[in-house]
Amino acid sequence: MAIIEEAYKVLESIVGAEYISADPVICEGYRPGPGGYECGLGYERVMTKVPACVIMPRTTEEVQKIVKVCNRYKVPYVPYSTGWYGPRSHCHVANELLIDLKRMTDFEIDEKHLYAVVGSGIIYSQLQEEAMKRGMYIVVGGGGSQVSAIANMLGDGWSPLSYRIGLPHRRILGTELILPDGELVQLGSLALQDGPFWGEGLGPDLRGLLRGFTGHRGFLGIVTKMAIKLLPFQPERLEPSGISPHTTLQLPEKRVKWINFSMPSKDSMKQAMYEMAKAEIGAGVTKVPLFWRAIAKAECKEEFWELWSKENEETIKNFHILRVLLIGFASEEQLEYEERVLTDIITELGGEARRTRPSDESWFKNADSAGMWLMCGSYVSVDYVIETLTHAIPHGENYAELKKKFTPPLMPDYGDPGWFQSFELGHQGYSEFLVYWDPDENTDKVDQFYVETSKENIRKRFYTSLLGSHQPLYLTGPAYGPNYHKWLLAVKNEFDPNFLCHPPVPLNHDTFVERAPWMKAMKDWESPVKP
Amino acid sequence: MSIKQELLKIVGPEHFSDAPKVLDTYSKDFSLAPPGVPNYVVKPKDVQEVQKVIKLANERLIPVVPVSSGVHFHGATIPRQGGIALDLGGMNQILEVDDFNRRVRVEVGVTWEQLTSELAKKGYRIMMPLLPHPLRSVVTDHLEREVITNTVYDYGEPLQGMEVVWPTGEIFRTGSASVAGYPDSPSKGANPSGPGLDFYRFLQGAQGTMGVVTWANLKIEYLPKMDRVLFAPVGDLNYAIDFLYRVLRLRIIQECLLLNNIDLAAITARDLPADFERLRASLPPWTLILVISGMHRRPEEQLHYQEETLRMVIKNEFPEISLGASLPGFPGLGKKLLPLLRQPWPKKESYWKNRYKGACQSLFFFTKPVLAPRFIERVKEVAAKFDYPQADIGGYLQPIEHNRACHLEFNFFYDPANSSEVERVRRLYRGIAPVLLEEGAFFTRPYGELAKLVYDRAGGYTAILRRVKKLFDPNNIMNPGNLCF
Amino acid sequence: MLKGKTSLDVTKVENFIFDMSKCIKCKGCTWVDHIYMPGVRFSTRCPSATRYLFDSYGAYGKMRIGVALIEGRLDYTDELLRILYACTLCGACDVGCKRNLDLEIELALEALRIKAVKDGKGPMPQHRKIAQNILTKHNRFGSPHQDRTKWLPKGIKPSPKAEVLYFVGCSASYTNPEIAQATVKILGASGTPFMLMPDEWCCGNMLYSVGMIDEARKLAQRNIDAVRQSGAKTLLLSCAEGYRMWKVDYPKLLNIATADLGFKVVHLTEYVDELIKKGALKLTKRVDLRLTYHDSCSLSRLSDPWVPWEGERGIWGTVSPKLERRRGANGVYQPPRDILKAIPGVELVEMIRMRENAFCCGAGRGTLEAFPDFALWAAGQRLVEVKEVGAEAIVSACPWCKDNLKRAVSQNGENLKVLDISEVILASIKV
Repeated sequence: MAIIEEAYKVLESIVGAEYISADPVICEGYRPGPGGYECGLGYERVMTKVPACVIMPRTTEEVQKIVKVCNRYKVPYVPYSTGWYGPRSHCHVANELLIDLKRMTDFEIDEKHLYAVVGSGIIYSQLQEEAMKRGMYIVVGGGGSQVSAIANMLGDGWSPLSYRIGLPHRRILGTELILPDGELVQLGSLALQDGPFWGEGLGPDLRGLLRGFTGHRGFLGIVTKMAIKLLPFQPERLEPSGISPHTTLQLPEKRVKWINFSMPSKDSMKQAMYEMAKAEIGAGVTKVPLFWRAIAKAECKEEFWELWSKENEETIKNFHILRVLLIGFASEEQLEYEERVLTDIITELGGEARRTRPSDESWFKNADSAGMWLMCGSYVSVDYVIETLTHAIPHGENYAELKKKFTPPLMPDYGDPGWFQSFELGHQGYSEFLVYWDPDENTDKVDQFYVETSKENIRKRFYTSLLGSHQPLYLTGPAYGPNYHKWLLAVKNEFDPNFLCHPPVPLNHDTFVERAPWMKAMKDWESPVKP
Repeated sequence: MSIKQELLKIVGPEHFSDAPKVLDTYSKDFSLAPPGVPNYVVKPKDVQEVQKVIKLANERLIPVVPVSSGVHFHGATIPRQGGIALDLGGMNQILEVDDFNRRVRVEVGVTWEQLTSELAKKGYRIMMPLLPHPLRSVVTDHLEREVITNTVYDYGEPLQGMEVVWPTGEIFRTGSASVAGYPDSPSKGANPSGPGLDFYRFLQGAQGTMGVVTWANLKIEYLPKMDRVLFAPVGDLNYAIDFLYRVLRLRIIQECLLLNNIDLAAITARDLPADFERLRASLPPWTLILVISGMHRRPEEQLHYQEETLRMVIKNEFPEISLGASLPGFPGLGKKLLPLLRQPWPKKESYWKNRYKGACQSLFFFTKPVLAPRFIERVKEVAAKFDYPQADIGGYLQPIEHNRACHLEFNFFYDPANSSEVERVRRLYRGIAPVLLEEGAFFTRPYGELAKLVYDRAGGYTAILRRVKKLFDPNNIMNPGNLCF
Repeated sequence: MLKGKTSLDVTKVENFIFDMSKCIKCKGCTWVDHIYMPGVRFSTRCPSATRYLFDSYGAYGKMRIGVALIEGRLDYTDELLRILYACTLCGACDVGCKRNLDLEIELALEALRIKAVKDGKGPMPQHRKIAQNILTKHNRFGSPHQDRTKWLPKGIKPSPKAEVLYFVGCSASYTNPEIAQATVKILGASGTPFMLMPDEWCCGNMLYSVGMIDEARKLAQRNIDAVRQSGAKTLLLSCAEGYRMWKVDYPKLLNIATADLGFKVVHLTEYVDELIKKGALKLTKRVDLRLTYHDSCSLSRLSDPWVPWEGERGIWGTVSPKLERRRGANGVYQPPRDILKAIPGVELVEMIRMRENAFCCGAGRGTLEAFPDFALWAAGQRLVEVKEVGAEAIVSACPWCKDNLKRAVSQNGENLKVLDISEVILASIKV
């Protein structure tokens, strides 16, 4: 496997010999491997490859030159900031260049105007700390504090902290995007000036190219710089404390407070979210799935399974914990006011406050996603949807039923319908389903489960994250829009006529279904895709 | 068949016209844009008719110019190359009001007047720009990203999933409205994003060049139970802006805006010219207006902590700000302004921008609030060069989302019947825009003559935008000649 | 070996294929614990990943390379050996991973080096030379063995029999006598009699660290027998590397628990902390210094006691019997700080990366010998932090740290004092 020699020489002259390598040992380090998001599944085995060459640029100019060289010499490439997203953020074809963006760590912050400008190598926990030092905070995406802020803003980008802001899309300000053909387009105010303080277009907004509901996973260019909105916070410090593995942020309780409530039913949780939104209080609210509690308590797999094996369908059905975050943005009195209102709501609905630790280890800085692998060594959120609360709840119930048919190999979760929460002060609702399996057993059914989920969403008219590159495009395309795939592919073909940017995405899942023998039977839709 | 015959077949004779008088009404608006006559006007009643018209336009390579409002200020709907004016005013149903999810779905012809009164019956409101014309389309104004007066919500964009007919004539629903069978689905259309790409972004600010939106979901909010409108006279604008940097982050202020004496006079004058002149002369140079509110639960307590917070900030940090329930010398202003902030301009009155002289050319852009005073001085300087009297320049500063940016608007009033005034304003507008652009004004909505200036400067953006446009509108029939197309 | 019998035996690298193949690439092994993340600067704690940047140099890359090596998809090359050995085995990766997961990263890295040696490919040539020194002259420098006790100051006599046996180590014996001298003076000031080994040999840290397990095991057995024979109840060390070797790796080599050594392994800082709290040692002389404390890896992250384990791995990857994993939670973090705070005049300022987040000085586990530039670079990184917090001096509890930091100071022309904690303690004792 090799990059064309001429291409390699030019690439080396762009970044310097220290920052490029075609050594197989170096490249092996960039294998997705069987561990990680979606890893251990058939997709990883069938679709991914180790890069032929790895390059580490430092600036937008270097990235642009690299992309142009790739176009010149027809070298396929994939942009890569942390590789956290699993196989789909790695190489898929032979002789591919992996563009590792970790050196792009430029960082500026405009405290007055509540934004930070980051390069692709900056991760969320870094950004969060810089924001918090200055009386601001960010929503650390559920992907975790270890993900590239840019990559997450392009791909997913929400958590219980999204309650007040909702979609991550509107947090994107001025941005530099290198299109697959090497054209640099500056979005937002960068189109007209040096400052990236605003994100809207000149007329039509080309930020539309950056993502759909969920992201492209890198098939439509490389973002090298992005200004991201920061949100006003409160002035007290959240003090880190403890020694690993029990580190936590101590909350200044008069200004920042989590409260867990036992609620009598699922419906009462939904009502609580509705009432909180109506009262316009709170900074976060989410239903807590029972197994999160077990994960939080367990230090190892064995402890988790000890706790989890005590649960059953009844305990799941009757577990209704609502977790609410209050922030006294303006003052202590504000938090007190909101707590009184919250107490009114919870009391009306028959709920009760539980003792809650005055600390956070899951959302502000740690954004605890790495813990998701604790139980089984594997995990994926198969579907996660921002829609309404009235969508979230049936979506969850429907999904739980479907999951039963695939358990095993999925981990027994006793019909847990996933977690849901409120976004945009109640205008939106969110549902997410996390599934786990033993990656060292036969995982074919997990791959099938993914496609079956897609089909179920289509049948039942649910919105879904499984669009674009996330599931077979020719399956979802005709069903949503309709025919969104036609427009998506038109844009892709316009800006990447040679299909060099992260091939074969967005047709990766279409290709997977053709290639993997255990997936062929799932295909009951038309597509022109060949294996 | 001729185009006319085809159109008659599609919409029926009562919804078709090529009478010169009718065509003339679509050829101009309140802007300085030169007139442009369509060849035909059609008023489709549903999306199928819209599709047919657009398909016909593609076959015959004739432009289509979508028109959704009865009133226009920026020249965006004036046909530049003739064609079919697609008047969507008849598609004006409020399709759903979703109480649980605080969502309303409306056809594109629904006006501010229609929607705000319907919502108010149920105790709701919708985020609004300042004093929209009552007959303007709500959907179009939000598509055009008119800046809202409310600064407290992080999720500012009201737009959610929409239905659009692409310039090819294909129907498409954006966001979570894209599910098959919508609205008969668990999906309510509350997510504007996707599927696959953020198509909704291409439609925003597009001035009808990227497709025809036929309905949209929009977020609605509750009307507060209690409000306090507060005023502060502003002599030192820098000081007031510093104050806003401080307080708008506290998330306690609903509507917040700064108006100069001319704009505030034009809005609040009982009559013209007498009361207007009195107000113009006696109002402070700028007035800060902000609203704090008690929502549904324990509203008095909510108001209390908000008032207390403001009081402490002023006492300890901004003693020169004199914030009160009324503007000294102008009793009853609060009572007058609050309804104005929550409703469109009253239909029976001449639109506030036209009250003073009959017409107004607005120049607006985004900037960082700290830079606003400098821009204001610059505008005065340049206006003087064009002999435009300073005393006639309306000023409006709209902070956005915790004051992270602001919309800065200058209103140049003129008598449309006076050709030298018209010419003066035209020259001023042409002369001032490049200066401001050079100094960092961000024209995110380049109407009329601004378009060429802005798109020429943003060459990279323009090139890509044209390529995207071509994908959706290969025959360039959708409002051609507008923006950079 | 993904299911079935497994153990923590590092001589069988197959025991760690499960762990290596379950790396999720979260880079908890590289980043400072996110709770403590200080911002865009000082955000990593893996020197290898920070210096060499390619994923392959971080633990997450090494895990993948390890699997490929074991599965025969990769062969040994200079680059592969470099990746295995340009690493201080500082344990940041292990502790970072175990913040959220339960994978044995450090043991996997040790097992890979052992495999490399077994396969005849490791260690690095520079290590072989030092191994020779240890095996023939019983010290890593190759200096005459008979000079090992020359450091002993006049007037100080070790007891023929005492509860405390002070294991001096090669560095304090030959190149850093000030540490050994300070240690014994401190013991004297507290009225603590101590023994020395009748014939002290190198602890074998280098041998074990580079994967020469057979040689290391022989040395371990010999040394343990010697201490047991002496009747000592407490083995005292002033070198963090030696401390770890005795407390953790000796039991590991002999497949016993730390608790079964037959004597307690204690670092000087633990001992002095207890003496102060008991009132047996008084630090009363002013030491006017604004200093910062560097957590030596082997005293902190790597020092949880060893318990051998073997069992079965079954469904979901769970093991039985239950395994209490070593996560660095019980490192010697507080005692040195309590000591420094007890000294009048000392102003202790913490570096940004401290305790289990400390950035390794770069010297340990064979790195200095084979990759001196890298070791110097890592120390240089630490000095940036020292300056950032405005400290005049950096204090550590290990001669390896002291020497390497000192090298960096003189290379950079800094005006910083580099001290061992024994020196600071001594300076505060009225003799």
